[in-house]
Amino acid sequence: MKERKDMAADQAFTEKAKQLFDESVESLDANTRSRLNRGRQAALEELATGRRVRVQWAPAAGAAAAAVFAVVLWIGNQPVDELTAEASAADFEILLTEDSFEMLEDLEFYSWIELDEEAGETLETEDIVG
Amino acid sequence: MNACVASFAVSCESGDRKGVRTLQRERELNRFLAEVEKRALRIAEISVRDRDEALDLVQDAMIKLAQKYADRGSDEWTPLFYRILQNGVRDWHRRQMVRNRVMVWFGRSGNDDNDYDAIAAAPDPAGRTPDEQLQSHEAMQSLEIAVGELPTRQREAFMLRTFEGLDVAGTATAMGCSEGSVKTHYSRAVHSLRESLGEHWQ
Repeated sequence: MKERKDMAADQAFTEKAKQLFDESVESLDANTRSRLNRGRQAALEELATGRRVRVQWAPAAGAAAAAVFAVVLWIGNQPVDELTAEASAADFEILLTEDSFEMLEDLEFYSWIELDEEAGETLETEDIVG
Repeated sequence: MNACVASFAVSCESGDRKGVRTLQRERELNRFLAEVEKRALRIAEISVRDRDEALDLVQDAMIKLAQKYADRGSDEWTPLFYRILQNGVRDWHRRQMVRNRVMVWFGRSGNDDNDYDAIAAAPDPAGRTPDEQLQSHEAMQSLEIAVGELPTRQREAFMLRTFEGLDVAGTATAMGCSEGSVKTHYSRAVHSLRESLGEHWQ
């Protein structure tokens, strides 16, 4: 009996949450809708032409990869504990994503990576696919 | 000569068929994305608390879906799209963590989340009195904050099941986990939200 009442309360809660969410979706402003539309057109263009939209990142990606490779070699010669090495590798992977290249301009960052003893403690290690 | 013309005609016909298929696919994908994009934006926005960032994440997800999964059956698109989006959100959070650590190192606060105002960002609902609008805004703001404070997997399960309306199997595909895990995360999320929002919220 209590379980049934609880289920009914759960359902009432989720229905209200859904209603509020739908209202907020339907009331999105024109500027946001327009930006969504532009994003969709970019995706459809991708389908039609098969070309990559952000090819301008290619030269920066090459330079960044070379810089990271050099730093990895340099760090490889330093005595580091296992935890720090693992965290540094994860950070590099994150930093190699497209919108993080500006951070690579400052090589002092790498000094910090080496010195940061707590680097491994805050990174989540959730399984991420795709 | 005739063989050459016939070969050219067959080639053109084959090209036409391919072109028609691509056009049909493009229309299907356009319909799908137009149908899902607004909800996806709000789901991403609740996750990252920034509309501009959410717009970027949704656009990236749309492009990746078109690049990699356009040839899949359209019934597979919804869970695939949300899987891409959820992965994008998780990557965004991880990058933010690294950025914040770097900003701390350089003596600057990397946390710009304080600028987020859920009421200001909330849209104006149409056809209701200002009091009703305000009540809805406040209720939605409370819900957004509570959902945003849930553990990642619970938040994903709740938003995909409740906001997007995916079934357990679709949510499992989108989250990359078992259906049992989805049920567990979802149930915990609902109970946690009810507890944090309190009876008066309903």
